[in-house]
Amino acid sequence: MADTRFVNQKMVGTSVVPDEAIPLVEGEGRFLNDIRLPGMYHAAFLRSQHAHARILSIDAGAARQMPGVIQVMTGKEMLGKVDPFESMPNRFSGGQSTQHWLAVEKVRFVGEAVCVVVAEDRAIAEDAIDLIEVEYDPLPAVTDPRLGEKDDAPLVHETCPNNYLIKRDYERGNVDEAFEKAHLVVKRAFSIGRKQALCLEGRGCVAAYRESAFTLTMWMSHQLPYVVRHYLAKHLRLGEHEVRVIAPHTGGGFGQKASIYPEEFVCAHLALGLRRPVKWVEDRLENMVASTHARDQQIELAAAVDDQGRILALDSNVWVDVGAYSTYLWSAGMEPLQTAGLMPGPYQIEALRYVTRGVATNKTPVGPYRAVGRPSASASLELLIDDAARRLDIDPVEMRLRNLIPGEKMPYRNANNLVHDNVNYVPCLKLTAAKAEYDKLRAEQAQASDNGKLRGIGVACFAELTGLGTSTAVGPGTLLQPGRDAVTLRLETTGVLTIAAALPSQGQRIMTAMTQVAADELGIKLSDITGLTNDTAMAPYGFGTFASRTAVFGSGAVIKAARELRRRILALAAHLMEVPETDLTIVDSVVQTVDRAKTMTLREMTDQSYFSAKHIPEDLNPGFEVTSFYDPKFGSFAAGAHTVVVDVDPQTGHVEIVRYVAAEDVGTIINPAVVEGQIIGGIAQGIGEALMEELVYDADGQPKTVTLADYTIPSALEIPTIELHHANTPSAALGGFKGCGEGSIIGAVGAVACAVADALNRNGGDITAFPATPERVLTGLGVLPTDS
Amino acid sequence: MAREKTIQVTVNGRAFEKTVSVRRSLADFIREDLHYTGTHLGCEHGVCGACTVSMNGRSVRSCLTLAVQADGAEITTIEGLRNEDGTRHPIQQAFLEGFALQCGYCTPGFLITAIEFLEENPDPTEAEVREALSGNLCRCSGYQAIVDAVMSMSGKPAPENA
Repeated sequence: MADTRFVNQKMVGTSVVPDEAIPLVEGEGRFLNDIRLPGMYHAAFLRSQHAHARILSIDAGAARQMPGVIQVMTGKEMLGKVDPFESMPNRFSGGQSTQHWLAVEKVRFVGEAVCVVVAEDRAIAEDAIDLIEVEYDPLPAVTDPRLGEKDDAPLVHETCPNNYLIKRDYERGNVDEAFEKAHLVVKRAFSIGRKQALCLEGRGCVAAYRESAFTLTMWMSHQLPYVVRHYLAKHLRLGEHEVRVIAPHTGGGFGQKASIYPEEFVCAHLALGLRRPVKWVEDRLENMVASTHARDQQIELAAAVDDQGRILALDSNVWVDVGAYSTYLWSAGMEPLQTAGLMPGPYQIEALRYVTRGVATNKTPVGPYRAVGRPSASASLELLIDDAARRLDIDPVEMRLRNLIPGEKMPYRNANNLVHDNVNYVPCLKLTAAKAEYDKLRAEQAQASDNGKLRGIGVACFAELTGLGTSTAVGPGTLLQPGRDAVTLRLETTGVLTIAAALPSQGQRIMTAMTQVAADELGIKLSDITGLTNDTAMAPYGFGTFASRTAVFGSGAVIKAARELRRRILALAAHLMEVPETDLTIVDSVVQTVDRAKTMTLREMTDQSYFSAKHIPEDLNPGFEVTSFYDPKFGSFAAGAHTVVVDVDPQTGHVEIVRYVAAEDVGTIINPAVVEGQIIGGIAQGIGEALMEELVYDADGQPKTVTLADYTIPSALEIPTIELHHANTPSAALGGFKGCGEGSIIGAVGAVACAVADALNRNGGDITAFPATPERVLTGLGVLPTDS
Repeated sequence: MAREKTIQVTVNGRAFEKTVSVRRSLADFIREDLHYTGTHLGCEHGVCGACTVSMNGRSVRSCLTLAVQADGAEITTIEGLRNEDGTRHPIQQAFLEGFALQCGYCTPGFLITAIEFLEENPDPTEAEVREALSGNLCRCSGYQAIVDAVMSMSGKPAPENA
């Protein structure tokens, strides 16, 4: 980090080069798979190759005899030792599911863990897996939520009639009346395929017995160390204080590493029994079937619109194929509830009705992935708005302007009961349209193209609720209701500030952000600030990194703790320097009088505090370690509006993104380059989601996409240069910060979907199923038959 | 067929003689036997490029290369990119200052690929950079900062130790 700065230059708002990236760029990151402990064993899992089957017998005799094999364990042998996951009672309708960490009587998806082998090395463990014979009695598989909810469908869980893991009906405002008096009713179907977060590093853990003072130490490639600690202790029947969880460098998270998985409980149990470290590292083929999937939704949406293009009511039906189990710990409710519940997005919707369902199928469970639920909610509504605009002959941007929540109406309570405030919806839309020269784009589009391509323009607006405090639920029905995190600030004997928090980064540079905030609050040089964010033994309590919350919570807690620490510094310095406290300030790690006549470095001060304490009155030397909890109470809405121009090749169905112009409101920015990386990275994932990525299953529940050659994500060739602009307004949270980790993927899916549909509309076509693969595009153009 | 073979390789300037299982991948050999864990495994089927190392001056997927195939070869991994005085290689510095990495898992492969590309094409266009990097996947960055970092090296003399 740069050591020099201009006097009074604020670090918040500066693109500080992050020290925390140095080990990564020098090849000295320490990821999970880089951990090696003396006497460490390796685990491998035998996984179900059936989507749905009864387990008749397991013969592991040959595997147990193999040299180098330490232990083989089946689900039956684990019964009664580690408590299974009983999904929480559902406050809406839908049944309860039980997930054993190794399958006991039935397997419910391809990839479900059936047996574990522990061996001296990974290769032996994998060889031994091949020697285990499992006899199955295959059962009919549920692979389509619309068939699965029928009364005569096979059941994934006997306890879940109609395969509902969750079903919710919601109505607010007078929806029927709105539809009766509507000038126009528009309806649209929308579906989006199954997704994979596809972290470049898969999951993994190392479980160790009696490392240091802890019964169990877990290194996990994970986003939520304290949450893991809580649930590991609970299921393994340990005290939480007996468990330490450390998240080493983590190669991407995106929500996939925010759930807790069977392998982690199994490895912990094995390590405790064997009294040896046990390591498991997921390979890519496992990751594609054993780590949570995402999305997989079908939506039927209707809007009542008046003659001015104002939306009076929304009415939706949502089906989410949530897979075989309610995901630990977020439940099967997160996608269905958030998709339907957050449908209104940034628009003024007075009446809202939905029926949403999470239908169990014999597929990998669906869990959190960047911007849960919102991309499909947003894309389906944005497409519908374009339909309405076309029918009413209103320009799509104008139609959005008439419906967005304007600043003068804020605080505005939407029909989904969320309050919008301090957020720039209209300015974002106006900014993207201005920067993209939207009117010119439309004029160009109207000219006949000479390249044989169909040009499409899509504009999408989104709202993203970030930094949720205790008064706003992360999602109704989830096990976890976070909202309060702590940071500890400690001045070391050398005057260096250490920041400790349980807010691990998977690339978001959380420590750098907190360092910048602390530098401004305390007047300490960046080079005098260090910290850690990943270890429950070192950090105060926190829920971790998810839901675009971390920078908001970490920074808020830093501000609170820094204010108290600053008070203590000035009180002691005033005593030592024999000047009134009110004359003092801190600049570049030096306490000084305003006229700079007297100075004392923080190092000198802490040296006296720690080593000459007997000369200092006790009440002036309470120690320089402060822990503060921060709860922003409510969430802060971030926002954006994206304009996308595409060229669709009617011969091949290929979609090329010609231009991408994004405008975002992410509140007060801490580190612009980091924020830009978050936003552009999210847009890239959204482009993949809208155009390329899809996990495919056949009708028997066999996954067809288990390599990166089948599940394709964008490369540098598919992602255009993103033009990024800001229309920020501070939030009500401390520092004015908002989250920025997720929002942009919402805008990308919506804007790309609208652009493709707009292009197809030029030839009288349309598209309702995404991703918009060449095949679907050609179907939408009528080139391929609909049933292809 | 023999199950093990003794090989000699030079990795990051250091000579090694090791007996390896004939089925051991070069990636596992580098990581597990030589402890150069800076090389990462993203897919182990040759698509993602995270495991890319330089072998006799050409970038190879170390997950698809067997250790025994590297017998006699000279290999450079990310740990071998630093200058002799310990400072970062210019492309490492460009990635750091250009915010061209987030989680950092794919970074080793991008660095090795970019160095080979810039040796062949020291003054590339953006389209050429994107094409050259298209065999390496990054899930975090959206590629823009990576492309910019590589473009920032454009026209600079080829680094000595690459």
